[in-house]
Amino acid sequence: MSDVLDAPKPITSRFDPRFETTLYAHVGAAGSHTLAYYQAHGGYEAARKALGMEPKAVVDEVKASGLRGRGGAGFPTGVKWSFMPPVDGRQRFIVCNADESEPGSFKDRYLLEDDPHQLIEGMLIAGWAIQATKGVIYVRGEYYHALERTQAAIEEARAAGILGTGVLGSGFDFDLILHRGAGAYICGEETALMNSFEGLRANPRLKPPFPAQAGVYGLPTTINNVESFCAAVHVMRRGAAWHAAMGTDDSKGMKLYQVSGPVARPGVYELPMGATFRELIFDLAGGPTESAKALIPGGSSTPLLPWSEATLDLPMDYGTMAKHGSMLGTGGVIVIPEAKCIVDAFYNVVRFYAHESCGKCTPCREGVATWLPKMYQKLLAGQGTREDLVVMEDMVKNMRGTAFCPLADACAMPVQASFKHFRHEYEHLVDTGTSMYPRRREWAE
Amino acid sequence: MSAMHQLPTVTPFFADKQQLLSEILGRYPDYGQRSALMPLLWEVQRAERHVSEARVAEIAEILGLHATEVKGAMSFYGTYHEHPVGRYHLQVCRTLSCALAGADEMADFLEDELDLVNGETDAEGRFSLQFVECLGSCGTAPVLQVNDTYFERVSRSRCRALVDAMRRDALPEPTRERGGDNEAADPAAAAEGGAT
Amino acid sequence: MKVTVNGTVLDLASGTSAIDAVFAAGFDVPYFCSQEYMSPIGACRMCLAKVGAPRKDRDGSWIVDDETGEPKIFHFPTMMATCTTAIMEGMVIDTLSQDVKDAQNGMVEFTLINHPLDCPVCDKGGACELQDRAYEYGTGRSRFAFDKRHQEKHHPLSDLITLDRERCIHCKRCVRYFEEVPGDEVLDFIDRGGHTYIGTLEDGLPSNFTGNITDICPVGALLDATSRFRGRNWEYDHTFTTSLDDASGSAIVVDARTGRIERVKSGLNPEVNKSWIDDGIRFGHEYVDHADRVRRPLLRKGERFETVSWDEAAAFIAERLRGLSGKDVGIAVRADATLEEGVAARALAEHLGTGQVDHAPRHGRTLVPVHGATLVDVATADAIIVLGDVSEELPALDLRIKDALKGVTPPPLLPHGVPIADLRLKERMPRASERLTVVAAYRVDLMRHAGHTVTVPVGGEATWLEAMTAVAHGERVDEAALAMSRADAEALIASWRDADKAVMILGGFVLASAAATAAADALGKAVGARQVRVPPMANGLGLEVTGVLPSHARYDYRHMLAGGARALLLSGLDPAQDPALAERLRGCELLVVHDMFMTATAEIAHVVLPAASGFEKDGTTLSLEGRYLPVRAAPVDGGEARDLTGVVKSLGEAFGQRLEGRSVRSARRVLRKQLGFEPSELDRLGLLQPLPKVRASVTVTTDEEATGEALRVPTMVRPEYLAYNPHLRAALGDPALRLHPDDAAERDLRTGDGVTVSVDGVPRRLRVVVSDAAPRGVPLVPATPDAPVGRAVVDLDALEVDRRALEVA
Ligand SMILES: Cc1cc2nc3c(=O)[nH]c(=O)nc-3n(C[C@H](O)[C@H](O)[C@H](O)COP(=O)(O)O)c2cc1C
Ligand code: SF4
Ligand code: FES
Repeated sequence: MSDVLDAPKPITSRFDPRFETTLYAHVGAAGSHTLAYYQAHGGYEAARKALGMEPKAVVDEVKASGLRGRGGAGFPTGVKWSFMPPVDGRQRFIVCNADESEPGSFKDRYLLEDDPHQLIEGMLIAGWAIQATKGVIYVRGEYYHALERTQAAIEEARAAGILGTGVLGSGFDFDLILHRGAGAYICGEETALMNSFEGLRANPRLKPPFPAQAGVYGLPTTINNVESFCAAVHVMRRGAAWHAAMGTDDSKGMKLYQVSGPVARPGVYELPMGATFRELIFDLAGGPTESAKALIPGGSSTPLLPWSEATLDLPMDYGTMAKHGSMLGTGGVIVIPEAKCIVDAFYNVVRFYAHESCGKCTPCREGVATWLPKMYQKLLAGQGTREDLVVMEDMVKNMRGTAFCPLADACAMPVQASFKHFRHEYEHLVDTGTSMYPRRREWAE
Repeated sequence: MSAMHQLPTVTPFFADKQQLLSEILGRYPDYGQRSALMPLLWEVQRAERHVSEARVAEIAEILGLHATEVKGAMSFYGTYHEHPVGRYHLQVCRTLSCALAGADEMADFLEDELDLVNGETDAEGRFSLQFVECLGSCGTAPVLQVNDTYFERVSRSRCRALVDAMRRDALPEPTRERGGDNEAADPAAAAEGGAT
Repeated sequence: MKVTVNGTVLDLASGTSAIDAVFAAGFDVPYFCSQEYMSPIGACRMCLAKVGAPRKDRDGSWIVDDETGEPKIFHFPTMMATCTTAIMEGMVIDTLSQDVKDAQNGMVEFTLINHPLDCPVCDKGGACELQDRAYEYGTGRSRFAFDKRHQEKHHPLSDLITLDRERCIHCKRCVRYFEEVPGDEVLDFIDRGGHTYIGTLEDGLPSNFTGNITDICPVGALLDATSRFRGRNWEYDHTFTTSLDDASGSAIVVDARTGRIERVKSGLNPEVNKSWIDDGIRFGHEYVDHADRVRRPLLRKGERFETVSWDEAAAFIAERLRGLSGKDVGIAVRADATLEEGVAARALAEHLGTGQVDHAPRHGRTLVPVHGATLVDVATADAIIVLGDVSEELPALDLRIKDALKGVTPPPLLPHGVPIADLRLKERMPRASERLTVVAAYRVDLMRHAGHTVTVPVGGEATWLEAMTAVAHGERVDEAALAMSRADAEALIASWRDADKAVMILGGFVLASAAATAAADALGKAVGARQVRVPPMANGLGLEVTGVLPSHARYDYRHMLAGGARALLLSGLDPAQDPALAERLRGCELLVVHDMFMTATAEIAHVVLPAASGFEKDGTTLSLEGRYLPVRAAPVDGGEARDLTGVVKSLGEAFGQRLEGRSVRSARRVLRKQLGFEPSELDRLGLLQPLPKVRASVTVTTDEEATGEALRVPTMVRPEYLAYNPHLRAALGDPALRLHPDDAAERDLRTGDGVTVSVDGVPRRLRVVVSDAAPRGVPLVPATPDAPVGRAVVDLDALEVDRRALEVA
C-alpha cells in the first residue's frame, strides 16, 4: 500500500515540471533536418546504444516502455516487434507508414520535414530489434517537401556510415528505400500500403497472414507509424521507465496531438498521454475562436464527442476514449463550431471516405462510396424525409463490421455518432428543408 | 495468338534517361522490380504532366508486365493523369478542417476567377483546377497545393495574389508555416523553408 | 477438427474454410466472390455468419462456461466472412439467426443498388447467382431511390467476350482467374472505389483461355459473344459430355436449343480439366450448325452429285465392292473417332477381309509410355520437362503445368464437391518457374513461365535429348548440342533426379521422330521421369489400344493412299488437298468419304456420307492419361448425319450381314469384352485404367521421317474448321504463316498479307504474321489432321501474295 503511495505520480500534464518535449523538441529549429544539427543534439546515440544490446533486449525495452503504435490503432509496439518469426535467412523488412492522410492528422508531416533523422534513427533501432536489414519509408506523394528532406537525410546518413553496410561501426547492415505514394488514403492501411509499394493496386490484403509472417514481397515485415519510430528513439535514449512514467494505465509516454478547426493556435502539440482536451485546446491552442458544439478526438474516423465541460476534462488516452464511445486514433482533434451545419460537416467526412474507398468490398464500394453520399446530398438539397434518416441509419449499421477493412467502419462510426448526438439537426433539415446552421463559412480576407 | 497492340511510334520516355532508369530499378530487389512502377509513373507524370497510353506500354515493357496491369495500378491513384494537367495544377483541399477555414469559398473563388470547374484545364494549358481531399495541412488550413508546393493559411487576398503571380509566371516561394508548438521557433528556418 | 454449424456437428480437416464447413453440414450461405479453384478474397461480404470458438487458458485448458460446464464460446465481435475464415477446433458457426439474415439482406441490398436489374433481357437470366441470391436472401424491396451507375453496356472485351459493365458486381473472379489460372494478366480493375470497372489494354485478350470468365461470372456481365441473345438458360438442353477437340478428355457442357448448339461451357472434372477449357474447345463449335454441312448422302452421277437415301448409297457401295477383292479395300478413320466407331471400322475390315485399316493422324510410335503420368501427376510434379508446344497442342496440359508451378496439390473433395474456398490458394502466389524446362525449335508461349528454356534447331530434339542423356550418364558431349554449359546441364539433370516427381511431356515434334522418341525414353529412364505422350487427336490413344491398326506396317494409311488400296472408305480425312494424292485417288474404283463438309476429297468421291460431329454421337474416348470417358450426343440437328457405326449398319444391311459395331450398343458389347468394363456405365469423371501394351510391330509405320526446315505447328483452334467458325475466325484471324521479321522483310511481307504457299506440295492459303517466335529461316504453318505436327518443306520463294481480303480455302 505504502509503495503505491510513495510511487511518483505519473506525468499527465505538459505543465508537470518533470515533462520535457522530446519528439517535437527540434521541429522548426534552424537546420533541424540536417545530420549536423541532429548529431549536435544527441542524435544516433540511442541507435548506438541499441546496437550494443541483444535485439531481444531492445524489443523488451520497448515492450516495457508501454509504447503503443501512433498510427491510429494503438497496438503495443514492442509486442508487434516480438511477432517476427525467428531469423531464417530470408530478407526481413521494417516499414514506416508515412502515408498520413486521415483528416485532422498532420503530425508526421512535420516530423519528416523537420526531423527526418529522428525517424531514420528510430527505424534503425527497430531494424536491429527485429533483425531487418532493409527498411521502407512510404510517404504520401503530396508531401513533396517532406520527401525531399527525408531523401536528403537518407543520403547524408549513408555518407556518414549511418546507413549501409556495418552501420555506425557495428556489424549490422541497414539501408532504406524511400517510396512515394500517389494520392490514395487507403495506402495508409498497412496491407494496402504493401500492395502499393509492390506496384499493385492498393487494395488491402487478407489477414492472416499478418505482415510479420508475409508482408512486403511475402517476407517477414514489421510496420509502424512515423511517430512510433520516433518515440522508440527516446525510449532507447532515456529508458523504458522514463517513458512509462508518463501517461495513464493503458497509455504511456508522450504523444503528438493535433488541433484544427476554429481555435486560436491550431497545430501540433506534444503532451504526455492522459493530458486533457482542456489542456490541449485551451492552455496550448488558445481556446476556440467561436462557440463550439463538438470535438472529434482523433482524426475524422473517430466518433465525435459533444462539447461540454465534462468532455474537456477527459484525459486523452486510449482507454478513456474507448470508454466514451470513441477512439484516440491519431490524436488529431477537430473542433466543430456551433455555427456549422452538422449534416454538412458529416457529408464532408463521408465524401472523404467515399473518395478514398478502394472499391474492393461491397459495403464500402456501394455503401460508403455510392449510396451514403447520395443520401447526404439529398438531405442537403432539402429533399430528405424522416424515412431517409431511418434508411441511412440502417445502411450505416449494415456497413459496421461487415467490410473487408476498417475504412468502412471509419466512415460509419462517425456518422453514427453524429446521428446519436445531433439527430435534431438532421431532423430539422428534413422537416424544414433548410439547415439549422449555415453550411458555408467565412473565408479570411 | 494475340494481335499485337499497335501504338503510334513515339520516342520512349526513358530512351535518354538510362541512368535514371537504372537508379530507380536499382532501388528495389531483383524479386521486387515491380515496385518501380510508381516511381516510373511519377517521372513521366512530372515531366509530361500526364501518362499517355504509349508511356503505360513503355513502363509495362520495362517491368515485364501487361499494359493492363500498369493501367490498373495507375488508375487507382489520384496523382497520375490520363490527360495533361496545366502548368499550374491547383489542388484545393476541401476536407473538414479546411472547409471549416473557408476551403469551399476558396474553391468557388478559383472557379470564378479562372473560369474553370473542378477537373478542368484551361485552353492555354496554364491552369488546372482540382478539388482534393485532406492534404495534411489541417492545422494551417485552408491549403492550396500548386504542383508540388503547399501554400497554407491561404486567405482571399493571398489567393488572389497567388493567381496573379501565376498569371505572370512568377510563383513565389511558399512560407513554411506549421502552427502549434514551435510555430515561431526560428523564423530563419521558416524563410529557408522551400529552398531545399 | 470438430465444428458445429447451426447445431450440426461435423469433423473436418484443419485448414478447411468456414464456408465449406457450412456447405459440408448441408446448409447454405450466399456468396459471389468465392470460386472453386481460385483464391478466396472476401470481397463480396455476402457469406457473413456469426462465428465463435472456445479459447484456451494460459495453462492450456479450455475456458469453461460456468453454467454448462462446456468450453465457453467466444464470438468474434463482428460477423465473419466465412470464405476467408479457417475453421478452429470447437468452432461454432451460425448462419440462421436473425442478425445474420439482416446482415445478408443488407449485403444483397448494397449489391443491387447499382445493378441494372435488366434480367428480362439478360442472357444469364435464370442462371444468375445474383438473381437466385436476391430471391433467397434479399428483402425484395429497393430503398435506393437514385439513378444507378451508368456504364458501358455492350463493351466488346474481344470478339469472343462481351462485357456489360453495369451488371458487374466486382467479385473479381475474372481478374483473379487470369492471374491465378492461365497466368495471363490481361484483365484488371481500372479506377477505384465506386468508379471501379474491369477493363483491358490488351487487344483481343491475348490468352488461350479467355472464355472461362463467362462461366464463372456470377452475373450477366461477361457473356460468350457467340451465344449472346440466342436463348434463355431454361430453354437449353444441357448435355454433359467430353470434348473431342483434343486428347485431354476435358469435360464440357453442350447447351443446345431447337437443334442448334448455342454454346459450349466448361464441365467439371477435378482430375482432368478442373473447371477450365481453352477457347478452341469453347468457341470452336459453330461449324456444327453451319449451312454448308453435308446433311444427306450424296452419290456421284457423272460430274454432279445427287442426293440419295442411306440405303441407296449403301447399295451402291456394296455393289461396287462386290467386284473387288476385300484385300484391296482400305478403311481409315480420323483419330478423333470414338472407340465404338473404331469397333465398327474393324468389323467392316474383318468382314471384307482386309488388313488395310488404320486411324490417322498417328505417329509411327506407340502412345503408350513405359511409365505414364496422369494429369494429376503433372499438376503435382516438382520437375517438368516439356518438349514441344503443349499450350497449343493440348491446352489443358498448359494449365496443369501452371498448377504444378504453384505447388498446391489438388484439394480433397468435400461432401458438396470441390471446396468453394480453398484457403491454401492466394492471390499472386509465386510460381516456381525453375521447376519447368521447355524445349522447342521456336519460341512457344509456355516459355514465359519456364525457368529453363532451350531452343533447338529444327528437328534437333533427338540430338539435344541424346546429349542430355550422355550428361546424365557422365559421358562426354559437345556443349553445342546441349545449348547450355555442361555445368548447367548437370545442374538441370540433378534437379530432375532429385525431384520427387519428374514428368516429361512429349509433344508431336518428338513423337514424329523415332530417334527423338527413343532419346526421350532414354533420358526419362536416366533421370527417373514419368512420361506423357500427346496424341495428335482426341482418341488416338484409344484407337491404338483397341487395335484400329493395320495388320501389317505396309498396310497403313500412307500406303493405302499411295496405291495399296483400290477402294477407300475415309472417315473425316481429306488427303486430296494434296494435288498428287488427289490425282491418285481419282483412279480408285471406289472412294467413299464420310465427312461433315465437301472437302477436296469429298469433291472427287463416288459417295459422300454425312458424318455426325463430335457433339452428335454417343461413344467412348480414351484421353492421353488412359482415362475412358463418355461422349454423349446433344440434341443437335445434323440432318441424316451418322457416325461410323451408322455407316456400318447401312453397309451391313446392304451386304445382308449383321456386323459388329453396327450400333453403339453392339460396338460396346465388343468393347466390354476387350476392356473389361461396361462403357455405357461410365460416369462423367470417367475411368482411369492401366494401359494395355500394344504390339510395336503394328504401330510402326515405314514412312521416312520428314525433312524440311519449316514446321507444322499445333494450334489450339482447328484450322480445318476455322472457315466455319465465324467468331473464332474474327477473333483470331485466318490460319497463320508465322515468319521471322527478317524473312518477312526480305520478301516485303507484312502482318495481315494473304499468301498462297506450298506446304509439302500442298498449296495453302495463309495469313502472314510477322513474329519473332519464328526463328530465322523457319516458317511456321498450322498443322492439320492431314498434315500433323512435324517438319515440313515450305517454299517461301514460290509464295504468292494476295493482298485482297483472304478467303479461306
Ligand atoms: C484506412 C486506414 C488508413 C490508415 N492510415 C494510416 C496512416 O496514414 N498512417 C499510419 O501510420 N497508419 C495508418 N493506418 C493504420 C495502419 O494500418 C497501421 O495500423 C499502422 O501503420 C501501424 O503502425 P503503429 O503500430 O505504429 O501505429 C490506417 C489504417 C486504416 C484502416
Ligand atoms: S472497406 Fe472494403 S472497399 Fe473500403 S477500403 Fe476497405 S477493402 Fe476497400
Ligand atoms: S482537412 Fe484540409 S488539409 Fe486536412
